[in-house]
Amino acid sequence: MTRRWRYLVSQYAALAANMLPPLIYLLIFFYIPMSILLVMSFWKSGYMTLTPAFTLENYKLFFSSPIYLRALANTVLIATGTMLALIVLSYPIAYYLARFSPRHERLLLFLIIIPVEINFLIRIFAWKIALGRNGIINSALMSLGLIDEPLQFLLYSKFAVALVLAHEWLPYVVIPLYLALKGIPQEVIDAARSLGANRWDVFWRIIVPLSVPGLFASFVLVYIPMLGEFAVPTLVGGPSGYMLGNVIESQFLSAGNWGLGSAIGFVLLTIILILVALVLKVAGLERLL
Amino acid sequence: MDAARGGLRVENLYKRFGRDIALDGVSFEIKPGEFFSLLGPSGCGKTTTLRIIGGLLTPDAGRVYLNDEDITFLPPEKRDINIVFQHYALFPHLTVFDNVAFGPRRQGWPEKRIKEEVGRLLEMVHLQGYEHKYPRELSGGEQQRVALIRALITRPQVLLLDEPLGALDLKIRQQLQLELINIQDAFHITFVYVTHDQSEALAMGDRIAVMNEGRILQIGDPRTIYENPVNRFVAYFIGNTNLLEGKVVEVQPGGLARVHIPGIGEMWGVCRHHCDQLRPGLSVAVSVRPEKINISRTPPDDPGYNTIAGMVQDIIYLGVSIEYIVRLEQGLTLRVFQQNLADDARQLITWDEIVWLYWLPAHALVLVE
Ligand SMILES: Nc1ncnc2c1ncn2[C@@H]1O[C@H](COP(=O)(O)OP(=O)(O)OP(=O)(O)O)[C@@H](O)[C@H]1O
Ligand SMILES: [Mg+2]
Repeated sequence: MTRRWRYLVSQYAALAANMLPPLIYLLIFFYIPMSILLVMSFWKSGYMTLTPAFTLENYKLFFSSPIYLRALANTVLIATGTMLALIVLSYPIAYYLARFSPRHERLLLFLIIIPVEINFLIRIFAWKIALGRNGIINSALMSLGLIDEPLQFLLYSKFAVALVLAHEWLPYVVIPLYLALKGIPQEVIDAARSLGANRWDVFWRIIVPLSVPGLFASFVLVYIPMLGEFAVPTLVGGPSGYMLGNVIESQFLSAGNWGLGSAIGFVLLTIILILVALVLKVAGLERLL
Repeated sequence: MDAARGGLRVENLYKRFGRDIALDGVSFEIKPGEFFSLLGPSGCGKTTTLRIIGGLLTPDAGRVYLNDEDITFLPPEKRDINIVFQHYALFPHLTVFDNVAFGPRRQGWPEKRIKEEVGRLLEMVHLQGYEHKYPRELSGGEQQRVALIRALITRPQVLLLDEPLGALDLKIRQQLQLELINIQDAFHITFVYVTHDQSEALAMGDRIAVMNEGRILQIGDPRTIYENPVNRFVAYFIGNTNLLEGKVVEVQPGGLARVHIPGIGEMWGVCRHHCDQLRPGLSVAVSVRPEKINISRTPPDDPGYNTIAGMVQDIIYLGVSIEYIVRLEQGLTLRVFQQNLADDARQLITWDEIVWLYWLPAHALVLVE
């Protein structure tokens, strides 16, 4: 009994010794600041003031303000729409990469990754030039006679935010998906075909279910950061492309209301945690991992 | 069930991959309900042939007929032909039940019938109660059984099996070989069975096609292939043999030929293929199977035998038989099998003994090609 006890203690001691450095790191840089923000979100807060007295006022304010709620709706709409568009766009690319072209695989992967290396601001300003009132797209369409007036929705809109986000995050959806598809043996697809499945059946019944781990990876890598995005909507979103990230940012940096900013931050965090739990359950990931 | 269904014919299949020629004019015809083995070394084009029959690959030239209907360009899901793969190819995200039900569901069977039939087939392969397991929870042999009934459940006219037992160990292999033969009898489905294991092909096939380098070298029943190989490759690839290179000295009617083999001398043999080319001076090989050679301490009385003396260099105890490696003059060696009669009264031949080897001319095959 005592020997077993001592053995267990030594095992746990070894485990603790291994876990300690990352734990300390997370504690200092993550859990302590998060806890401070969480506490602040329940403090009485106003312009540049913060009083340590418990209140739910910050949360009430958020949920009763149409402007903030619209920002929340915008955020979910833009992130979800962009994510879906990215998945639809990525499947053919990833599928082509994984199935058809061993010779061109590296070159294509390289071409997909390159845009990631281009400076964020340069990319955004390139988009501004392309999408603006007198931008390349509008002037091209006008000179072709397809439109008489410049298209207004191209820049400073939800569309612009989604487009720039999609461009930014495409590689992070393509690559996990590509890896998942590459892991599906050709024989499995051949077996399905020989058992009477047409291409459509093969896609929906074999390829999509087996690429769920890849989709989950890109969900974590892409969807969650998009929910917290504030730079892209600030630069190309205009008033209609306003996201929750902008609200949080302005509470901290211009409105000086740290309590409200923290509260909104935690609302967003809660939504993200619920989404992750939901997706894990729906995807039935424990079966595939 | 119509007995005439499941006749398969391929004509002059030709397929290249880049610069490699995978198939170089492959033709054969398989009767309905036949167990047809495709045998050949790695890379000879067996899988390519099978994939063309299954519709997973289109040939550069040539035709595939099912019951005299040209199906060369029919997509795989429209062919009444299923495939069992070497690595099982079960759907990892589906349970055993859903794997087996995959084919019937594509054909729109009612769920009740699917449930009954899946249960029945699982029982047939001794996997009752496995419905809700996932493929990764099964052993290799169990997975291959599931793959087999998954391909069988819709009663295709032809079942293609690509080295289905190749990844299993010997005991399970032998057991599944038997089960496969029984199933083929019961279902009466045409089987095309690819293997590179010659003993498996001999044991299982009604007929065997021996392939090498994208061509069919010989088609016949196991006995014909074994006893009357058309050339050196078939003789050497099927079973074990002693191949002795020499030159023809004398030809007699009926395919009988006297061949001079350097280091052994002259011996009589029979020719059964390409015999019109036989003439004195032609380079040929003589194939003598190890089990056709008698080994003894004394020479035979009958002068009709080919006889030669040698020294026992090695003895390999195989259980059912004993293999002797006998060294002749000039360094040639012959393999000899003798049935293990375990006769204590008779002293067994041992190392370094001088022995006589003798065999009938009918068992010495003269191979021209
Ligand atoms: N998809 C492919 N691309 C390029 N070459 C191929 C392809 N498939 C087969 N080959 C080539 O064609 C030849 C025949 O291949 P195949 O797979 O039919 O051989 P096999 O007889 O099945 O061999 P094994 O016993 O090893 O499975 C080989 O030389 C192989 O390299
Ligand atoms: Mg093969």
